Amino acid sequence: MANDYRGISTANLLEREAVLDGFRSALEDARKGHGRLVLLAGEAGVGKSTVVRAFCDEVRSSARVLWGGCEPLFTPSPLGPFLDIAQEDAELRAALEHGPAEVATAILRAAAMKPTTIVVVEDVHWADEATLDVLRLLGRRLGLKGVLVVATYRDDVLDRVHPLRVVIGELVTHPHVQRMSVPPLTAEAVAELADSSELDAVELHRLTGGNPFFVTEVLASGSGAVPATVRDAVLARAARLSDGARALLDAVAIAPPRVELWLLEALAGEHFSSLNECLTAGMLVERDGAIEFRHELARLAIEESLEPARRLDLHRTALAALDSPNGGTSHVARLAYHAGAAADVDAVLRYAPAAAARATLLGAHREAAAHYARALRHGDRLTPGERGDLFREQANALLLTEQLEESIAAVTRAIEEYREIGDRLREGDALRIRSIVAWGPGYIEACTRDGWDAVSLLESVPASRELALAYAQLSDLHREVEDTAAARVWAVKGIELGRRLGARDVEIRATTELGGAEVLDRDPAGPIRLEEALSTARAAGLVAPVGRLYLFLNWAGMLTRDYTITDRHLADGLQHCSDHGLELYRLIQLAFAARIALDRGHWDEAADHANAALRVQRSATTPRIIALVALALVRARRGDPDVRAVLDEAWALAEPTGEIHRMSPVALARAEVAWLAGRHEDIALATDAVLDLAVARLRPWPIAELLCWRRRAGIHDEVGVEPHGPFAAEAAGDSVSAAEQWTQIGCPYEAALALVGADEEEPLRRALEELQRLGARPAAAIVARRLQERGVRNLRRGPRPSTRSNEAHLTTRELQVLALLADGLRNAAIAERLFVSPRTVDHHVAAILRKLDAQSRGEAVAEAGRLGLLQDRQPAKPI
Amino acid sequence: MQTYVIMRRGGWRTPDEVRAATERSAEEADRTPEDIRWIRSYVLAETNGELGTVDIYEASSPEAIRKHAYRAGLPIDEIVAVADTVVVLADPQPLPI
Repeated sequence: MANDYRGISTANLLEREAVLDGFRSALEDARKGHGRLVLLAGEAGVGKSTVVRAFCDEVRSSARVLWGGCEPLFTPSPLGPFLDIAQEDAELRAALEHGPAEVATAILRAAAMKPTTIVVVEDVHWADEATLDVLRLLGRRLGLKGVLVVATYRDDVLDRVHPLRVVIGELVTHPHVQRMSVPPLTAEAVAELADSSELDAVELHRLTGGNPFFVTEVLASGSGAVPATVRDAVLARAARLSDGARALLDAVAIAPPRVELWLLEALAGEHFSSLNECLTAGMLVERDGAIEFRHELARLAIEESLEPARRLDLHRTALAALDSPNGGTSHVARLAYHAGAAADVDAVLRYAPAAAARATLLGAHREAAAHYARALRHGDRLTPGERGDLFREQANALLLTEQLEESIAAVTRAIEEYREIGDRLREGDALRIRSIVAWGPGYIEACTRDGWDAVSLLESVPASRELALAYAQLSDLHREVEDTAAARVWAVKGIELGRRLGARDVEIRATTELGGAEVLDRDPAGPIRLEEALSTARAAGLVAPVGRLYLFLNWAGMLTRDYTITDRHLADGLQHCSDHGLELYRLIQLAFAARIALDRGHWDEAADHANAALRVQRSATTPRIIALVALALVRARRGDPDVRAVLDEAWALAEPTGEIHRMSPVALARAEVAWLAGRHEDIALATDAVLDLAVARLRPWPIAELLCWRRRAGIHDEVGVEPHGPFAAEAAGDSVSAAEQWTQIGCPYEAALALVGADEEEPLRRALEELQRLGARPAAAIVARRLQERGVRNLRRGPRPSTRSNEAHLTTRELQVLALLADGLRNAAIAERLFVSPRTVDHHVAAILRKLDAQSRGEAVAEAGRLGLLQDRQPAKPI
Repeated sequence: MQTYVIMRRGGWRTPDEVRAATERSAEEADRTPEDIRWIRSYVLAETNGELGTVDIYEASSPEAIRKHAYRAGLPIDEIVAVADTVVVLADPQPLPI
């Protein structure tokens, strides 16, 4: 049984009560429906597994335990720990063929059953990328599920760039994720353990650092002195065994993490009969019909002590045995591992690409890249076409792990290989890929050249889906530099060709580009086209295109301030991208959510979203710039500190791109900050460069906003571009109409700022009231000063933030959901009432809990009652 | 962590009210020690007879201070970042909280 965690000694539990108590209370929370994820840290050998096993033993009568561990391989099997767990669960087994999002969903579903489930994932410092994604998703989603997830890891091996560090950084921001650590033993505990030995307990504690594994090995080795290292202690202990037993240890050591009995028989030959001796001596343990070392430190010590010839020999035997029909279900990643270690080039070329392809399929792109690199080390044995394919796939894996320069280098090699054999189709496609990859680091010119070259090469061979994709890419490139006319033309060509070829996904991709170009032109056809494409893509089950369409729609809503679009799609878009592991799309939409909340006057929510987006360590600059600007503006508008450095970082990211859509939000924010501080002379400085660029590219919308701030600073420009909407009204001196339009749009702060230019007392008083309501201290002070200059006295000081109502800034939709929650409706029933999917309701409930800082629905309703959010509410009825 | 001064001018009528607020404040700060640490406070005798406070906190961001204030039910008038500290003499003997 995969989850049979018994059979391991749990004798040493000295000084572990605090950790056990932590687990007990986490399990209690889980039982009440407040899922918990515990990250258990500790150095190697400190007893993380021991304490988790002891806890699981203690509660096994009332909880179900699913147990899996990560492999100590340079390139571990994708989703390795869940392979163990899946032996118990058919649904999870099926999910393992898809990827992290499906695995997380299957685990949460399995965990919904009684009794309460404990999922243990050991040694996540070795986890493959896909497994880390599962943890990330679990951390995000288990808040309302009755499950306890425990992940153990060695904190002494995490350098600054370790992928786990990034994941932990994200995880700990969720209230239901907690960190615990297992400390080394104190001198007293070591003395207790060494009680019956002749060793000096103080010396033993000093030399072992109180590491329980080290202490146990020393005591078991029975030597008179304390060995200098763990390795020495392990070897001393092994030296007491018979020759046969030591040979058997060698065989187990080369096949991590554990070796099946049939394989061990093949590896150990005549020495197999010594297995009992090793088990009795406690060096090895049996689990799930396989044999492993009691601890990875012991395995490492034995493996490192192997003579090279012996090691090679054992790996060759393992390879041959796993390669035989007898190998059965054995995993291609293991074959690739032994092929490399056996220095068998043919086997590496056979298994490494296969292992890479499987890793890619499961979303373990870091591991895929490593497998491709291993195969390409022997690329001289391959044909140019085969090499080109491996380089192209490697480039893709590197792109997905954000190693952009390395990805560009790999795809460049692929282009060269294809060119050498005159394969225009694949060369053209590789050029298109390079055009996508090189955009990130900002090689704009090279991208454009590649985009054109791809199209002309692909047009010289029979029409292909590759060509249609190249058209879509050219459209994308033109939209990025705001050449919407050309972007539309190329998108239409892509749509037509995709349709002619019957390639639905390509057609949708090109349609997305066309919709994007239309949105940038403020053409109302854009959002409609995108929504239609979304329905088509959803119906066809196209996961990534659906994610991209949500991204474009929510971008459209943010850009044009049409919040009817984002009300329809933002929650669903975030949910879809989260569910399917489309992390970059999710991150960008999180940044959009920050900006949208800011513009709608929901500043707490804006800051929360912005901080969440900024915690994700990705190299993508667009979401970072948007989140930084939103955070800086929340602070500036409240009069809070720490604004300037945030905007400086945003500008440093935006300026080198030369792109208006990245630069203008930063420039506008700097102008606003200068205005709030009364430094009008800085406004020209902040906006000059971007205004020139926007005028040169004839982009009326950024121009109108830039001119508005400049006018507020007394700068009057003549650029020959007519402003639109509220900007036109304000430019014409009609503050009241401008404010009304802003209110109509749904931007209360902008409405109040528009009134600052009014001459009459009444609109100024309204502006002051609204700014005080928003907690906009600096702008309120400016208006108050203007009123005082007009001779108005006895201005009321506004209510202070802590006493404001709906401080939580629930959206209208969230208030509706909250009202139904208060009526005791379950999510499924709420979904029915509101005509939305249960998924979307889940998302709303999660947002409500977050905003109200509540751990449960009950707490949320209580808090809402306290805040008066449930007053004046109609009895529940269909809305 | 960065050091901030938080102005909470007025709003409390009696020392007992201030004491109750400080208890809530300490309790809330203890819940998120990675985000906020309360260093010390000066209770202000406002000219209108009310009591206010000037608080010194360490926090991960201004938002952390606002969140803490909201949870503890404390008002905020202004948050100012501390650029440097000059200590000349120790504070006068405070009242125990």
